[in-house]
Amino acid sequence: MSYNRETAELDAEILGVIGKWHKRDRDLGEAEFEDLAQRIFAYQLRYDEPYTRYCASLGVTPHALPATWRDIPAVPTGAFKEATLATFDPERAVLAFETSGTTKGVGGRHFMDTRALYDGSLLAGFDRFMLADLDGGKRLRYFNFVPNPADRPQSSLGYMMGRVCAERGDGQTGWYLRGDDLFVEAFLADAKAAIADGAPVCIAGTAFAFVQLCDELAKREIALAFAPGSRVMETGGFKGRSRVVTRDQLYASIGACFGIPAERIVAEYSMTELSSQWYDTGPTRVKHAPPWLRAKVVAADGKLVPDGIVGALVHVDLANRGSCIAVQTEDLGAIVDGGIVLIGREHGAELRGCSLDAEALRTTR
Amino acid sequence: MNGTLADVPVRAILRGLADAAKRWADADFPPRVRVLEAIVARTGYTLPVVEYALDRLFETITEPALTATIVSELGSLDALDGFVARKGRSPARALPVGPVCVVSSRTTIGVAIPAAVFALCAKCDVVVKDREDRLVSAFFASLVQEHDAFGTAARAETWSGSHDARDLSTFASVVAYGRNDTLAEIRAACAPEARFTGFGARASIGYIPREALVDDRAAAALAEGAARDLVLYESEGCLSLHALFVERGGHIVPDRFALLLAEALERAHVEFPPGERGAGASARLGSARALAAFRAAGGAGTVYGDGSARHLLVLDPPASDPPLLLPRALNLHIVDAPVEVIAYLKRHGIAVEALATSGKREDVVKMAVDAGAARIATFGALQSPLMEGNHGGRLRVADYIRWMTDDR
Repeated sequence: MSYNRETAELDAEILGVIGKWHKRDRDLGEAEFEDLAQRIFAYQLRYDEPYTRYCASLGVTPHALPATWRDIPAVPTGAFKEATLATFDPERAVLAFETSGTTKGVGGRHFMDTRALYDGSLLAGFDRFMLADLDGGKRLRYFNFVPNPADRPQSSLGYMMGRVCAERGDGQTGWYLRGDDLFVEAFLADAKAAIADGAPVCIAGTAFAFVQLCDELAKREIALAFAPGSRVMETGGFKGRSRVVTRDQLYASIGACFGIPAERIVAEYSMTELSSQWYDTGPTRVKHAPPWLRAKVVAADGKLVPDGIVGALVHVDLANRGSCIAVQTEDLGAIVDGGIVLIGREHGAELRGCSLDAEALRTTR
Repeated sequence: MNGTLADVPVRAILRGLADAAKRWADADFPPRVRVLEAIVARTGYTLPVVEYALDRLFETITEPALTATIVSELGSLDALDGFVARKGRSPARALPVGPVCVVSSRTTIGVAIPAAVFALCAKCDVVVKDREDRLVSAFFASLVQEHDAFGTAARAETWSGSHDARDLSTFASVVAYGRNDTLAEIRAACAPEARFTGFGARASIGYIPREALVDDRAAAALAEGAARDLVLYESEGCLSLHALFVERGGHIVPDRFALLLAEALERAHVEFPPGERGAGASARLGSARALAAFRAAGGAGTVYGDGSARHLLVLDPPASDPPLLLPRALNLHIVDAPVEVIAYLKRHGIAVEALATSGKREDVVKMAVDAGAARIATFGALQSPLMEGNHGGRLRVADYIRWMTDDR
């Protein structure tokens, strides 16, 4: 079978899985996930050279395939900075998302040769986990404290919200973040208009942007009261930031600033190296994902840890057809109730006493 | 014996300190046995590591070592008891600077004790902000058995950040260990004229010159020492081996040396079993190992580690990689000359506490000087500094005295 045909057939299958879950609420069973994961992995072994070499070094080859999807070798996120992990010539990429390059100032890139998988996955997940309560056809107004895709097309988060706004927004989308700068005046003007219109909104932003925004609104003694049905999508944590607040503190601030209750605040979690997203579902803050994204938790030696035990998260994302299906992170989490509880990422190595610690090291660079 | 420390002859103070330390150097000394578990619980280190640390700490507190240090810094012991004649200068006396506070933040084992010992030698009243294991407190209790004056002069309190901020202004000298931002906070809380001695973010490195790699036996000996320097205190101390550089051109090639080091690490784990690791460290270790393996699969470098992830050794990582700063994890860089080490340290903003090396090559010594190191050591002894050594490049006792001259 030709590469093009094989790729098209796989994409059609993956899109079929996405479509059935999205439109008909048809889940993806373990056996189906296993089968599709193995075939995507085998495809990647044929066409993704750096990944193939890595797998071979671990004893996994087309002739010695993993027993289950949990045994598929996961590339560390750092590998995206070291090599082009793609099953196609990156010259043909239609999307190229860049990681933030937090450790060495060198970002990694995640190439995609089709928008269909990424778009299909993100919209299905967003509809299910962020918009499920909306009556058919009802559109929210989106206020974004994430990179504007017009300014930063390499931001996967910006792209994601750009697609959501285009497909699900009411046409009056606002973008209020550029670099570290928040456009508070523009946001306030748009917020007042939305409140006057009685238009429910979805405010999307990184945790750190929300902290800054809430600080600013509190300083000005401004408390907004958005229309019922408004909601918040919080994402991104506090990477590399000096001021960190607890989630309870953050959500209390968001509630006070926007009049949006905690149950309407959803934490989204993903990364540039994935094509799909995890979302909080319910008050326990267990995150769930569409059924084509699964996680396992491993110890330092790569061995699986039991459910409920904290370890490093490894994601297996079937929508990552064009790169690597399994991605190992440094994010800590545990499998709970079929989802994940994200503990987050510890800051760099912490040494004792008069020792060098990684945070101190980074600040001196 | 009664009275305040100021009334006690310095030799009696030194004897008291050394005698107490000698008792603490005995692994069966009941107070030591009682704090062991608490230290293990606080640090997560295994018992053999903690025992080793206590041995090293207390065995070095001897009368000769204390005497030699004081004499080298003050000219004589007698200066601490009264005016002493000085050649070509007025007689002078070394008086206690005033109350001293030693703040041990998140430290390895007993870091505060040498500072406290020298402050007591200077007849200062000392308050140590102790850690949860109460090691300093227990040691001070032993001092009281040697001399009542230690009872009022040496106090240990459980460390608390807010408390430090409140009362540091009453001390004439403050010694602090911790992160640079912690040190800045502590410094800001000191009285304007107080002496502040901060021990901040520092790391130690190793350099193996090509001429040291003459044969397998010599290389294995170096590897044995380097392994010990890496595994002790789970690579967390400022004297832990955080990066190792091996020169090209030796009879033993870097790949062979790396293999010897990996084998030595296996043995070191037996003598000093790995401690408890948090999930975060485990996750970062797993990720670092996977990234090194990914690179190796592409022909860049080699990764050594055992199945149970007790150590991680990465040969020939990119110079752009900072030290791993993870338990028992080490980057082994291949270089042509010491100048590459300086470039590496500069690139990553690393302040060096000590250099482990072999031989006496001038350019290696110059590298240590340029790197700001306070000490050059042999492999295997990196984590065993002498009591009379200059931690952080600083004097030991001079910070706790003020000179008074008699010009009459």
